[in-house]
Amino acid sequence: METKFMKSSLLLGAASLLLMSAVSWAQMTKYQEDQRLNMEAHVGKYTGHAADAQANYRRYCVGCHGVEGDGQGENAQWLDPQPRNFTLGQFKCRSTPSGTLPTDEDLYNSVGRGFDRSVMPIWNQLTNQDKVDLVAYVKHFSSKWTTEKAGEVFPIPAEPEVTADRVKAGQALFQKLECWKCHGVEGRANGPSSDTLQDDQNRPIKPYNFTEGSRPKCGSTDRDIYKIFMSGLDGTPMPSFIDNVKPDEAWDLVFYLRTLQPKNAYNMKERAIAKQLGLKPIDPNAPAPAAPAASSGGQP
Amino acid sequence: MKSHKKSVVVLFAVVFMMMGALILGSSVSAAPPSGSSITGTVKLDGVAPHQKGIDMSKEPSCAAIHKDKPAMMESVVAGANGGLANVVVYISQGLSGNEAASSDAVTLTQKGCQYIPHVVALDAGQHMKVVNSDSTSHNIHPQPTKNAEWNKSQPPGSAPFDVTWANEEIAVPVKCNIHPWMHGYIAVVKGPYGVSDDSGAFTLSNVAPGSYTLTAWQETYGTQTQQVTVAAGKAASANFTFKAK
Amino acid sequence: MSLPRKWVAGLLFLACFVFAGFSDAHALPAFARKYGLRCSACHEAWPQLNPFGQKFKDNGYQLMNDRDAPIWQNPSYWPVTFRITPIWHRVSTDKVGVDTAAGPNTGEVQITSHGFDLSGLDFHTGGTLDKNISFYVLPSSDNTASFHFETVMARLDNLFGSTWLNVKLGKFELDNLLSEKRILTLTGNGGIYQLYHFSPLGDTNGYGQIGDNQLGVEYMGHSYNDRTRVSAALLSSNDGTVGLPAGNSYSGFFAASQAFDTGKLGVQRLGFYAMVGEAPTQFLSSGGVPIPGTGFGNKSFSRYGFTGQIYLGKLDFQVVTQHGSDDKYFATATSPYNPVPGNVPSGALPAGARNATWNGFLVEPHYVFSPQLIFIGRYEGINVSQQALAATPSDAGNIQTFTIGYRYMPIMTSRAGFAWHNEYNWLRQSKAAPDGTDLTSSELLLGFDFAF
Repeated sequence: METKFMKSSLLLGAASLLLMSAVSWAQMTKYQEDQRLNMEAHVGKYTGHAADAQANYRRYCVGCHGVEGDGQGENAQWLDPQPRNFTLGQFKCRSTPSGTLPTDEDLYNSVGRGFDRSVMPIWNQLTNQDKVDLVAYVKHFSSKWTTEKAGEVFPIPAEPEVTADRVKAGQALFQKLECWKCHGVEGRANGPSSDTLQDDQNRPIKPYNFTEGSRPKCGSTDRDIYKIFMSGLDGTPMPSFIDNVKPDEAWDLVFYLRTLQPKNAYNMKERAIAKQLGLKPIDPNAPAPAAPAASSGGQP
Repeated sequence: MKSHKKSVVVLFAVVFMMMGALILGSSVSAAPPSGSSITGTVKLDGVAPHQKGIDMSKEPSCAAIHKDKPAMMESVVAGANGGLANVVVYISQGLSGNEAASSDAVTLTQKGCQYIPHVVALDAGQHMKVVNSDSTSHNIHPQPTKNAEWNKSQPPGSAPFDVTWANEEIAVPVKCNIHPWMHGYIAVVKGPYGVSDDSGAFTLSNVAPGSYTLTAWQETYGTQTQQVTVAAGKAASANFTFKAK
Repeated sequence: MSLPRKWVAGLLFLACFVFAGFSDAHALPAFARKYGLRCSACHEAWPQLNPFGQKFKDNGYQLMNDRDAPIWQNPSYWPVTFRITPIWHRVSTDKVGVDTAAGPNTGEVQITSHGFDLSGLDFHTGGTLDKNISFYVLPSSDNTASFHFETVMARLDNLFGSTWLNVKLGKFELDNLLSEKRILTLTGNGGIYQLYHFSPLGDTNGYGQIGDNQLGVEYMGHSYNDRTRVSAALLSSNDGTVGLPAGNSYSGFFAASQAFDTGKLGVQRLGFYAMVGEAPTQFLSSGGVPIPGTGFGNKSFSRYGFTGQIYLGKLDFQVVTQHGSDDKYFATATSPYNPVPGNVPSGALPAGARNATWNGFLVEPHYVFSPQLIFIGRYEGINVSQQALAATPSDAGNIQTFTIGYRYMPIMTSRAGFAWHNEYNWLRQSKAAPDGTDLTSSELLLGFDFAF
């Protein structure tokens, strides 16, 4: 009796084991294989393969970005900002001009950095290889990557020394480029146009508030900030300024923007200079300062 | 001071060279292909919907420009005698596919916080010059579906920049995020095109003889098509009528 | 030392395991709801953490994207998760003492029982009270709905903006890389790590159980990407029992680990842990009942070892070693002092008594077919290396146990977790049966494990 029971319960267990694995196998093969799964990504010494990232994408990404990469995962309806739609092949954080595809490294940095003020986590505990594979997988969702190349990385000159003149020049640029129209004269995201902004999907979007202390969307280093306004954040109202700001002057603007932020690891010098200068917020109603040479802008 | 002077010199040199390139460009492509034209008028049947006035008080420099005559929305612009303006007329079928893009640049000007013209048409591959005549910053943010989307700032006094469009797309909405009332369209076509003026008149020039499907597109009323046959050396005509809704 | 005492201890030992069986795991659909991540983002297989989940926990249940504080949540968000496990199981123990005509406990029978059953119910609630202030409260009931506080803690995270400074206070899970609170198995003996509760036969030390949540204060620090982790906790030596019932004694738990990026294989982690402390061996009594807080005669104990998390793609191995030692007074259940003559029965250390020491090894391989299907195996072997009394057979109390099973999650969303669970466990404790021979037991379990 006893052994008979033992046997039957073992059989029952084995049968259910088989059944369950069969069900899950069937579920897995439902996933539509994409012909672009041979997509590659190259970052440093790593070569990523889209096919290798399938499991990790399913594990980590699918709830928001969706099985088809269209940003319509089960949670999309609850999220603000909305998850990126990879099928558009459009990305905010780039080291390439507006309207072009980002480099693999740009995407790689975004994955590892995450996005403050969104639900996109910091995936830096994944291995570098995993991240590069995921970049390839992100790329495989859009046919753009098969027809277009990543944009040409715009050069960034070496960062100069922060000086009072540069901070002042940066402030003049902040006024002249009318950054304050959205970001506000003190960087509080309360400029006259700030409450009417919409992203590409006509969803309301807020400009970055420099005074809040949260990290800018595409990274916190001086270089990251340089890239943000030079490249523009595609898909958002933030335009590219690369046609209007000379590479060297861009650093002035970076230094001035630093003075708007609360104290952090990157802006000690800028804040000290601003304090020393007794820097006041710009007055948008004041007559524009005599146009500096920067107004040449145009095609480089 | 010295460096300032130097950059002014550089600026002049750059502008000069650009102008030279423009002149050179247009002179090379001057030879017109032989062909007839299609002319006609676009009419609006009925009363144009009321166009709201635009409150530009958030941008005093633009509000000042429209002080005497407030700027209006431009979703339907009806002119004298029932003519309908801003209608893009182009050939949607029947082209050989060998038509070269026009080598003349079209211009999209931002003036008084409006796009002038409100609807600009051009060939895929044709150059478009974007000009800011205002004393305020604009950002030019087209939102195409078949072309690459971009978003560039253009502060006052900055030089025009040049854009081309790779793919046919009728039409690409363009907006300025800083001035949310600014709306315009860029119609990227292939082959001859015309845009109706205030009286509704349009002209497609350099059309090779043949049978074509002619399409008219208006931002509010959508498209209409009709067949047209063009004989060698003879102007053809086609008229469209959109019903006011 | 008489034989009955030995098997009573052995049986109590096993009974402990059965009742402690259904452990509480910190798998929170509430977190998944809050962040819109699926279970699989944080859990290798629910409820065991993967490196991302470990980092989330180390950051104080924060993704660190400035959206963690409750102010960012939809007002209807309420961080509560319920977990319960309805099962059918069959438990069999081969030699249980029974009363016969010859007297009490003079016979031995095999007892097998089976039927539908229910584990307790866990109410998990946790998250952040504000940026960098996190909390966790877990009232947990047994299967008769009798509640206790399994976890109650608050934590100050990233003090001075440094990931290296986190302090928590309360009753909490020890910083075990392979946490018993996140165990993937559910059976009585297989649903805990034997290594985390072991003491030799006759040993009465109940304070060195690193599998149990403990009361204390913990410092924890980690690198930004969580590859390097260190923690040190000061604990009351009362095995997490509230109300200062034991004496004024403390123990410490220390852990450190380092992870390595090995490309396609995954992130490997190696570390060590140590629990050292003292605990009372005797109480003053009143009417024969111990007076709470009067514990004295503090004696020492220690458990330390290495831990490893080895990933080979879909296959991984969780490894823990242990060298344990209990003072001879614990190991022989002797009270060392007699400060109040006539109140406490004095105890004399048996002649030749020594500290008891043992070595153990645990390996738990997983095959993660997909985030929704995981196969689990486990082997644990614990050998007493020095019995407190030389007369005790050297292998008495040794444990060998293995567990196999799988968890299949037919659906996986960010709103709830549901697993079909099937598991078999076998355990042998050497010379622990009433007649001094080996005692073996086994359990087969099928059921649902769900949380929402």
